[in-house]
Amino acid sequence: MDERVPALAAVMDVTARRADARAGSIPAPVLAVRDLRISFPAMSRGARDLEVLDGLDLEMGDGEFVAVLGPSGCGKSTLLRALGGLMDPRARVSGEIVVPRDGAGRRATAWMPQRDGLLPWRRALPNAMVGAIAAGIPGERALPRARRLFDEFGLGGFERAWPHELSGGMRQRLALLRTCLAERPVLLLDEPFGGLDPVTRRRMNAWLASVRLTERAADATTRDSTSLAAAPGSGVVLVTHDIDEAMMLADRILVLSDRPGRVVHEERVQAGTHERYDRAALLDALDC
Amino acid sequence: MTRGTRGRAALIGTATVGLLLVAWEASVRLGDLPEFVLPSPSQVAAAAIDQAPSLGQHIATTATEAVLGLALGTALGWLLAVLASAVASVGHATRPVVLLSQTIPTVVLAPLMILWAGFGLTSKVVLVALTVFFPVLVAATAAIRNVDAEYSDTVAGLGGGRVHQLWLVRLPASIPGALAGLRIAATYAVGAAVVSEYLAGESGIGVFIQRSRKAYAVDQIFVGILLIALLSAVMVAAITLLRRVATPWQSAAAHH
Repeated sequence: MDERVPALAAVMDVTARRADARAGSIPAPVLAVRDLRISFPAMSRGARDLEVLDGLDLEMGDGEFVAVLGPSGCGKSTLLRALGGLMDPRARVSGEIVVPRDGAGRRATAWMPQRDGLLPWRRALPNAMVGAIAAGIPGERALPRARRLFDEFGLGGFERAWPHELSGGMRQRLALLRTCLAERPVLLLDEPFGGLDPVTRRRMNAWLASVRLTERAADATTRDSTSLAAAPGSGVVLVTHDIDEAMMLADRILVLSDRPGRVVHEERVQAGTHERYDRAALLDALDC
Repeated sequence: MTRGTRGRAALIGTATVGLLLVAWEASVRLGDLPEFVLPSPSQVAAAAIDQAPSLGQHIATTATEAVLGLALGTALGWLLAVLASAVASVGHATRPVVLLSQTIPTVVLAPLMILWAGFGLTSKVVLVALTVFFPVLVAATAAIRNVDAEYSDTVAGLGGGRVHQLWLVRLPASIPGALAGLRIAATYAVGAAVVSEYLAGESGIGVFIQRSRKAYAVDQIFVGILLIALLSAVMVAAITLLRRVATPWQSAAAHH
């Protein structure tokens, strides 16, 4: 695969790391970022370099859904692009990014952009298949799965629709479906429902949470599933500026500071408690 | 446009052309202009009917040259646009040559083409292709350049490489541009074919016009001009149709 960031320090083989960790019985992260600093050179003379991330640390454990919460422009999207191997070649990057790789050495991540990224010249089903095509999944395997997922994602009957004929919510679901068809264990979701109105957005979140939970339950019996984070060595990193979205979906929430971004607060799901998160603490961390 | 306003536009357009024809006919008759300076529309129509048996062959020749040249020029222009977008050095290498060649009007190359490729079809097809190549290249290049970086990022973010970018994004993104360039080029194509026929050839609308000029048959020259206009219009219409078939996502968008 085209590696855009030669400057990135060692992108390491996670499996070896996990084996080491298992020996010491510490659960090893599937994906890790250590002291990540990203800046962009100044566009005009005299201007200062744009520092986007300032020593960011992040870990995603096996099967974990991590939300990165932060104000607009705090570098969340840049972080996700770095994880997905989509860094601007002009960016200066230092620190360590550990991303799982498949047998062929390709990134085991699938990235979903803020806008849906649907190709206007492909109908809905072929658009979803872009995920499989780009990831090198044979069509005879991906196509039946895609057809099944169309129903599960509430898109059944719209296989032949052009993207512009779909509603905002449907487009986002289609984009997510496309991301699932890449069959990559780690999903990187950049404000997947950012462009939607609040009501649709809430519905989408409830739907995403339910998809995930049902698939988790079904996971023990079937590996081939809608699963967003079911396969071993898998997980989701979601970037959002919506507290409710993060609280509804994530196992863990990291709050980023204003640009240049770094983690200023971390919340974990409290096991056994009715309230999943301390909302006040999150608001406080976000400084609102 | 709604159906009503479109109908009204067509009506006004037709009426204007009709009025112009009437004014032309009237000014020739009342102004007493000699026929060898400006024939009236009725005289042109009579000449067209008179020449009709021989016109078919001329039209077929010119149309063949224009269509083959269009196909060749479009294929080359489109291919180069896609290739140059995928491999940067191809773009760097071809840009100066292409730009330099465009400072030469293609019709002035007609004598050379005839020297090199003979009086037959080949020289004319090559000349039309040269004329058509540039607008297609420019429009297709612009279409690829303007395609949202979001699309190529999406493909890359799912693990896609260069070939995927080319096949999933660049190639389809270039189609509307190539067709827009082709539509502009189609009008040049007939003109280029006719000019090359002026210099040499046994049939074609250009040959018909040259023969009419030598015979001082001004009404027949007008018939030739009319045929060029009609042929260009038919080709533009055919390309508009092709556009609807080849880019269904765009025509679908237009209906909404």
